[in-house]
Amino acid sequence: MTFLKTVGLRASYGQVDVLLGIDIDVNEGEMVVVLGANGAGKTTTMRAVSGTIARSGSVIFDGQEIVSQSAESIVRLGVAHVPQGRGTFSELTVEENLRIGAYIRKDSIESDIARWYKTFPRLEERQNQRAGSLSGGEQQMLAIARALMSRPRLLLCDEPSLGLAPLITQELFEVLKNLNEQDGLSVLLVEQNANLALKVASRVYLLETGQVVASGSAEAIAGDERIRKAYLGG
Amino acid sequence: MERLLQYVFDGLSFGAIYALVALGLVVVFRGTGHLNFAQGEMAMFCTFIIWQINDWGVPLILAVIIGMVFGFVLGAGTEATVIRAVAKKSAGGVFVVSIALFLGLNSLATMIWDRAEGYTMGSLFPNQPFDFVRILGAEWRYKFIGVLAVALALMGLLFLLFSKTKFGLAMRSVASNPDSARLVGVPSGVVLASSWGIAAAMGALSGALVGGINGQLTPSLMFSVFIYASAAATLGGLDSPGGAVIAGLSIGVGEQLVAGYIPGWIGQDLKLSVALILIFVVLLVKPSGLFGSLKVERV
Repeated sequence: MTFLKTVGLRASYGQVDVLLGIDIDVNEGEMVVVLGANGAGKTTTMRAVSGTIARSGSVIFDGQEIVSQSAESIVRLGVAHVPQGRGTFSELTVEENLRIGAYIRKDSIESDIARWYKTFPRLEERQNQRAGSLSGGEQQMLAIARALMSRPRLLLCDEPSLGLAPLITQELFEVLKNLNEQDGLSVLLVEQNANLALKVASRVYLLETGQVVASGSAEAIAGDERIRKAYLGG
Repeated sequence: MERLLQYVFDGLSFGAIYALVALGLVVVFRGTGHLNFAQGEMAMFCTFIIWQINDWGVPLILAVIIGMVFGFVLGAGTEATVIRAVAKKSAGGVFVVSIALFLGLNSLATMIWDRAEGYTMGSLFPNQPFDFVRILGAEWRYKFIGVLAVALALMGLLFLLFSKTKFGLAMRSVASNPDSARLVGVPSGVVLASSWGIAAAMGALSGALVGGINGQLTPSLMFSVFIYASAAATLGGLDSPGGAVIAGLSIGVGEQLVAGYIPGWIGQDLKLSVALILIFVVLLVKPSGLFGSLKVERV
């Protein structure tokens, strides 16, 4: 079943059109990756879905049109966005970051905090430190854990590998894969590290200057000679 | 010894008022990252509202509560309209707008309540010549005890709001990263407007306290209080409520000690410049203040 569907999604920064009509589907329980060069519109696509920029066209999440809804209300529907650059609250402690991540929830959140501490033990060690003092990898873990605190049904994850050591990146991808496979969390992932992304995702969209230029299963894309040459470094 | 105690005690009462206004600055700064230069004038304007309502025959305590509600609406409304519109364009613009508000509210009050000698302002606490207790030789006037108690109670409440409630956490998250705050579902507009509203309501209360101590109300009511409060907020650290309180009380006590023991040294007219010099020195030497947090970020 289609969980998230964008049809003719457009967005612009001032006079510059960045998205020229994007059509993307994410099925329930699926992990989909969006690949593309810098400036192709990957981050803008994520922001257009989560409502952090003005956009037009259609975004249907779980059968509901959300293209004119605010970011504050979209997260309440079950879409959590881990923004590019992590967006953690530097002045708040690690634990406060997790607590505010559950802002929309009214039920008890203690077991969730314990769960993500178990997934990311380094966050537990640093629970009373300010988020701004964490390393890049720890901040990325915190950003993901914070998004999960809202108990989303769809996770938008924007370049989690950015600026991180390969080992940490692998650890993060392992966590995302587990969330997808074991908890059935639907994930829409933006990545520059195509080789890594193709290993965890089931389907791929390739973006170029604000348009989808290719899409298909991860195997098909990885096997396509032209695409390999152009995007995956041979 | 009695003299020393007397100065310290009087200083604590004045300091508590500086601390209250400084706390208003801290609330706005923590909530929105802006300095509201109109904080003192908003307080003054609300105090006139309180006086007016009281003058119409409503009991003072009730008038103060109405004035605080008025203050909340004034502060929240200002943020939701002019401040937010300007903040989108430039942070420097907010500074200019708050100066404009400062001048505008002052002129408006002067226009509505135009009387050179001002108005007689009642005190919330017993204020007859014999209304004091003598402790260790110092006269503790009821009105000063009352001011100190109200200020400390409000500070306690604010501390709880900031550190123990979900709303306090939401306020701090909006101050830290407004975009991320929206992503986790915090209605940032409501939070921003509320922090201005809370600050202005506190201002209304501090204005009523100052008016009660002075016994007199003019549009310049909060002028020197605001300068001292700015010094306190700077000294304590703009994002530290505890710092604002400690610095506010210290400045109040310091002011009374200097004025009492060496009255000829600085004189009434120069007292304010001492506060300004203090702001200048703190900003030069330790910009984050004594208790403020330096922004540390690893990339």
